[in-house]
Amino acid sequence: MTSTFTMPLGPVHVALEEPVYFNLTVDGEIVRHVDLTSGHVHRGMEAMATQRNLVKNVTLTERVCSLCSNSHSFTYSMAVENVLGITIPDRARYLRVIAEEIKRISSHLFNTAIQAHIIGFKSLFMHVMEVREMMQDLKETVYGNRMNLAANCIGGVKYSVDAALLDYMRNMLDKVEPQVDEIREIYDTNSMVLARTRGLGLLPKEDAIRLGVVGPVARGSGLHLDVRKDSPYAAYPDVEFKTVVEQGCCIHARTMVRLHEIFESFKIIRQCITQLPDGEVTAPMRQIRTAEACARSEAPRGEVFYYIRTNGTDMPARLKWRVPSYMNWEALGVMMRDCNVSDVALITNSIDPCVSCTER
Amino acid sequence: MQEVINGNAKVIEGLTALCSTEDDAIHHSTDSFGNAYHWFRLGTPRMLTQGAQILRDADARLAMVTAYNRRQLSEPMQEICYHFEIQGFIYNMTVTLNGEWPTVPSITPLFANADWHEREMIELYGIQVMGHPNPRRLFLDEELDAGILNEAVPLSIMMNGACTTDLWERILQDKEKQS
Repeated sequence: MTSTFTMPLGPVHVALEEPVYFNLTVDGEIVRHVDLTSGHVHRGMEAMATQRNLVKNVTLTERVCSLCSNSHSFTYSMAVENVLGITIPDRARYLRVIAEEIKRISSHLFNTAIQAHIIGFKSLFMHVMEVREMMQDLKETVYGNRMNLAANCIGGVKYSVDAALLDYMRNMLDKVEPQVDEIREIYDTNSMVLARTRGLGLLPKEDAIRLGVVGPVARGSGLHLDVRKDSPYAAYPDVEFKTVVEQGCCIHARTMVRLHEIFESFKIIRQCITQLPDGEVTAPMRQIRTAEACARSEAPRGEVFYYIRTNGTDMPARLKWRVPSYMNWEALGVMMRDCNVSDVALITNSIDPCVSCTER
Repeated sequence: MQEVINGNAKVIEGLTALCSTEDDAIHHSTDSFGNAYHWFRLGTPRMLTQGAQILRDADARLAMVTAYNRRQLSEPMQEICYHFEIQGFIYNMTVTLNGEWPTVPSITPLFANADWHEREMIELYGIQVMGHPNPRRLFLDEELDAGILNEAVPLSIMMNGACTTDLWERILQDKEKQS
């Protein structure tokens, strides 16, 4: 005889890094239905943004999320530049991309590390985090910060780099790259990792299109979606890189998209270091008018979208943003259909969920 | 120099036909990297379904929905801007709501990911969405009034009276009710 019952998971749970509450309808060990309750850390940040001026909002938006912090201040600055009609200097375009790609490498490594942690592969978890630590050191040396880089400002960037720092960056990348290659091989061949990830948490291509998912979740389901390619911004039109797409539609496909992407990021940073032009790093502010504009960028988790409406004062009339996790949450309903209760945490991690930026 | 408008001609024509006759109802812009943005202001909220259908037929992806008050622009009405993406180009469709009866038709049947966006604007801006398949609260507690972002709420009330006499008064009220 079988019977279904409801099983609560969260909001605070060992395997979930952030507070979200799942109501799972289970039938024995099998999940039949997923219901999600969020709102545990809603901060009302969009309302706060209309009470601060344009410059202060750079700092505010950088605190929306920690792993994609740089993408938020980056996209917000682009939105303001679009609304005011500012063109940023060439050197700033390159420096913005360097900061963004350094963050992407760290972010992807963090997500893969957590996957090993949930699987229970402790030594792999520690190994990946150790490699990531080198990227964190790099951030601290260049920016003075490990998470909120404070690299962007309206009209350009706040930091500049000299030849010595560029050398340091290059050396660090040379050290990290072979180690990430080793990590990639483990995730692609280790039988324990494969048993828990391959063919699990399926998101078919049609569902990925229907739900409008973005980032590695979309690319792991065979969708060619990458803002850096689709509508190039900053220095992305000037550098060569590939959009990584996998067809597996499973947890493993999403993991491999992230790991392959790290190598594209290495390529982008190296090209930026070589091609970095001299000159100013900021453009002057312009008169604020009544207008509206949007901007988007490819954060580690996918597309970040900003909309701004100004009213002639230095405070925005409306600032709205949408983060990649926003649509990816709903895809969990598809991924968890008929999965095992023990795989719920792993599937959740595979979308690289972010509660703080979804709820803002 | 003639400005070239990049984008899907069929979508631009279709949405143009739905726009109001005001001068600024349609405009096209590009950012400093040459990416195109198209802006359309629809005649009435009822036309939203037709507009969404045109975009659906063109395989557009709904990127975001923004609801806002124009109060800060010294006008009383609310507006909703729907942002879509087709092959790297952004199509923005704006509808202006009647202040007395702020209602729009749901586009969730056409774009599955409109679900959360619509629920969010119901709870934060008090906008009514007709025909939404799942009109539950998304982030905020059921006890808070709908349209909470339309008014200024003291932080102490928002946080359930954590730091003022408000909490104490509430406890006393609850106690009276129980006894």
